[in-house]
Amino acid sequence: MTRLRYLLSEALIGLKRNVLMTFAVVLSVTVSLTLLGASLLLAAQVDLATDEWTGRVEVSIFLCDDRTCPAITPEQEERLRDELESVPVVAEVYYESKREAYERFQELFRNQPTLVDAIEPDTLPASFRVKLTDPSQFGVVASQFASYPGVEEVVDQREVLNQFLRFTDIVRNGALVVAIIQLLAAGVLIANTIRVAAFARREQTSVMKLVGASNWYIRLPFVIEGVIAGALGSLVSWLLLYFTVPNVTEQLRSDIELMPFIGTPEVIAVAPWMFAAGVGIAALSSIVALRRFLDV
Amino acid sequence: MIRLQNVTKVFKRGRDGEVRALDDVSIEVVKGEFVFVVGPSGSGKSTLMRLLTREQVADKGEVWVAGKNLRSLRSWKVPMLRRDIGYVFQDFKLLPTKTVYENVAFALEVIGRSRNDIALRVPEVLELVGLEEKTGALPGELSGGQQQRVSIARAFVNTPRILLADEPTGNLDPATSVEIMRLLDRINRTGATVVMATHDQAIVDSMRRRVIELEGGHVVRDQSRGVYGYGDR
Repeated sequence: MTRLRYLLSEALIGLKRNVLMTFAVVLSVTVSLTLLGASLLLAAQVDLATDEWTGRVEVSIFLCDDRTCPAITPEQEERLRDELESVPVVAEVYYESKREAYERFQELFRNQPTLVDAIEPDTLPASFRVKLTDPSQFGVVASQFASYPGVEEVVDQREVLNQFLRFTDIVRNGALVVAIIQLLAAGVLIANTIRVAAFARREQTSVMKLVGASNWYIRLPFVIEGVIAGALGSLVSWLLLYFTVPNVTEQLRSDIELMPFIGTPEVIAVAPWMFAAGVGIAALSSIVALRRFLDV
Repeated sequence: MIRLQNVTKVFKRGRDGEVRALDDVSIEVVKGEFVFVVGPSGSGKSTLMRLLTREQVADKGEVWVAGKNLRSLRSWKVPMLRRDIGYVFQDFKLLPTKTVYENVAFALEVIGRSRNDIALRVPEVLELVGLEEKTGALPGELSGGQQQRVSIARAFVNTPRILLADEPTGNLDPATSVEIMRLLDRINRTGATVVMATHDQAIVDSMRRRVIELEGGHVVRDQSRGVYGYGDR
């Protein structure tokens, strides 16, 4: 207990002695971790949005239901299925009824009850969902079946998805790269701060060494000092995301209706990662900074 | 207790210059001895002291302290070695923001001794050095002699088997130096081995203890009940 109190009080003395430096460290950790958290959340958003889409479906053939074209007859439907299954590049054909489409929709947008309420169980069209052995052969299927009686539209789900994914990947990777560079910069700043702190207390540490304090006993206050600053930065950046991201996605949710959005649970889920990154970089750079400075 | 066997320590100077701080030195000090190490500046006294605390490692030869071979001693065990050695500096090295009591207690705190131990042992050792009245004072409020007594109390509070003193009277007037020597003598009588590096001729002559003289990194004299120099040198 005495030890713990000693370690904490020494660390706090160090932080207070150098308020400005501590502030700089907290700030830079905050900036880097906010970016890191944002890129993690973006990845979560992409996962959420693509989960349902990717599945097994690559081509959707929507069937007419009297809204835009005369409803498909059972015979036409039967023939369409047979023809589809006879095409060589088609690997699998799955029929999704109006009811199943509605259920999937409900599941996909479970976070947006108003959207679900606005859709009648009957609104969504039935479709054949077709998986191809070679997805690049989409054009063959599209040209063959687009003009079929009872077919409303042939859509390459993969293409829609790919455009979206390409865009989000760029944004996410960009954020991740900047986050890592920032994190490294924060690490260097922490190392420097710890070195200054160790230098300020060199008299005390030299006495400690000579009376036989263990290396870790001498170093730990400095490492804790760095870790406290790192943890503080993590906390600030996480709070920043916690209070902004759900509001932003709430806004997007009302603007873009056909996409599920992340919310508070996802922000809470990234907290451990941000904390681990902040504390980890702080501990690591403190230890590296002290490696040579305080060796026996 | 302390044994140096053909010890050589070389320091690089500049590009290819080098200084042999210690050159093939062999010394043995047995338990309970009181030894002066004398010699001019640069003779190797400080290097010798630093080898004993394992701040530095000999280039050649073996150094044994308190039963440990310092060459093969793993670095994480060095703190254990140092708990067996008390160290007194010429410039005291007291922490200016801590009181007399705290300075001495600090040496026990940082090696993880319990609070009860500390509360028992610190007043005891402050009484031994005659500072029981000054426990609350800061180092800046004390005379040089008093500060050195605090530093000795700190070095001895853990009852080490060896006490190393590097010019402990170097900053003190002769009368105060005598007090400090009485104190070191008293500590020596409790069974601790004392090695003291010094320039102080009067003190060495008055104590009549073993004297090891270094010059240019060599032992030029090792004499029991010796004096500082030969004749009129």
